[in-house]
Amino acid sequence: MYRNDTVLPFFGILFGVALWYMAYLDGLHIARLAGHQPEELSVGQLGLITFGIVFFLWGAIGYISAWLEGGELRPGREEAEGGAAPMVVVFVLALLLVGLSGLFVNAVLYGLTEGPVKSSFMGQLAAAILLVMTLLLVVYKKFFVDDEVLVEDEHSEVPW
Amino acid sequence: MYRWLDERLSLSRFNKKFLRKAFPVHHSFFLGEITMFAFITLVLTGIFLTFNYEPSSRLIKYMGRELPAAYASILYIDSLPFGAVLRSVHHWSANVMIAAAFLHMLRILVSGAYKKPREINWLLGLALLGLSVVTAFTGYSLPFDAFSVTATQIGYGIGASMPYIGEWVSQLIFGGEYPTLHSIPRVYSLHVLWFPLLLMALIGAHMLIMIKQKHTQPTYAKKVAPGKILGVPMMPQQGYMMGVLFLLYLAVVFFIGGSYIAHPVEAFGPPTASTPAVKPDWYFLWIYGILQIIPGDLKIPLPFGAAINSEFIGGVLVPGLLGIAAVLLPFLDTRKTKQRYMELPTRHPVRTSVTFALIAFLLTTTLAGWKQEFGFSNGQLWAIIIVGTLATYLTSYLILVSYWGKAPKGEAGELEEA
Repeated sequence: MYRNDTVLPFFGILFGVALWYMAYLDGLHIARLAGHQPEELSVGQLGLITFGIVFFLWGAIGYISAWLEGGELRPGREEAEGGAAPMVVVFVLALLLVGLSGLFVNAVLYGLTEGPVKSSFMGQLAAAILLVMTLLLVVYKKFFVDDEVLVEDEHSEVPW
Repeated sequence: MYRWLDERLSLSRFNKKFLRKAFPVHHSFFLGEITMFAFITLVLTGIFLTFNYEPSSRLIKYMGRELPAAYASILYIDSLPFGAVLRSVHHWSANVMIAAAFLHMLRILVSGAYKKPREINWLLGLALLGLSVVTAFTGYSLPFDAFSVTATQIGYGIGASMPYIGEWVSQLIFGGEYPTLHSIPRVYSLHVLWFPLLLMALIGAHMLIMIKQKHTQPTYAKKVAPGKILGVPMMPQQGYMMGVLFLLYLAVVFFIGGSYIAHPVEAFGPPTASTPAVKPDWYFLWIYGILQIIPGDLKIPLPFGAAINSEFIGGVLVPGLLGIAAVLLPFLDTRKTKQRYMELPTRHPVRTSVTFALIAFLLTTTLAGWKQEFGFSNGQLWAIIIVGTLATYLTSYLILVSYWGKAPKGEAGELEEA
């Protein structure tokens, strides 16, 4: 609570992955070892994976925030560094995004005409597209957006 | 284009007044944002589901089988390209919204952010958490498969157990004694219209008050800009961070939603006369656990033929007492000056230990939900719950006091009124 550190986000990610793995161990793995293929998740697995998602997300955004915004703010304005290397990264990510999006549209059209496409493939493809978009935004914010920290009066007129 | 709009709508003035608001930066603030993005995802995926879902339990012919229309329409949604993934993402987002809202409230609790002047927002947050759970519960009944019908019946029974008004309240929500032909349309209307509208109104009020009262800031801000708000402007800096979080959120839930279909209705099948052995969803398991360890034949008679039974004690009374304690908290743990900075949990050992004990209570009562599978007796489970909760409190209190001591006077956030 003192500063925007990465200690708690680190444990958030660790805890998130551990909860997901607990859910995996709890159900699928043990069931497969016993020669049984469960079709659905138990309520316990749902709960563990849910908290795993939240802890993982919180940890990941905590790390991103520490990288993009720093541990402690200081009032002022700092111009973006820019540079050729980040530009190349943005270009590669944009190409990857176009490629993955094309594949996604093809998969949807295939599903409409030829029959169902596996949900896991569709979900993971959508996740990959969204992850590339996330990375694009992170790189853009880091290298092409000026940093600015404000000091505001506590009794501002916003919203009234 | 911008100039054209600016001349008519004074956009630059709007930008200067509202979009330059300073947002303090701390990773724990993102828990509230995760809750909000889960809600936005629920609305967006919910719109897709309403296009294809039929809110009716009447029997129809679907692919050569006679099935309830609601159940058949879920099969239809799952057969659409990407349909099963979107339905799964909707289900996972409902779970994530509840979990993130709960963790967000724990953050508010351990950092003391419920104190003056944020008491109203604490109460709004409690209402939002409660309403999220109720909205998720109403959604649970909509697939109308064997699992969801049985799980909804458990909830119906708990609601109906309230003395005098229970049966009336439950029948109002479920359109009669669940399940009837009127149940699905009634619950559907609540789930897709009235509860989301109420959630939107409460979220709007919650945000508006937060913007007016400002965040509690990380403690270091007291040294950098005492008595002021230190933060990044809402646009563009905070806007980018919100964009990053929303995209990351979607990436994770699409990955999990695609890999694990949250509620595969085919695996459960349509409702049958025989009741399958099911448990309620994880956020009700602690209540279900309490119900497991209270004698089922417990009955305390009340005047006019009403009675208090075990369902009421476990399902309404215990959660109700916890809710009342949460409502009273900001009025019991008070301060004279405004709370500007987050309090360090290590410097408030009693409050932090009570929070840990609450988590231990919820975990051990959840464990009681597996009473039959684990083969525990009622006595053993009572012992686990009571000893586990008290031991967690004492252990965490002793650790906190021995390492950090008690909070000194004039601790973080206790600046005099400017």
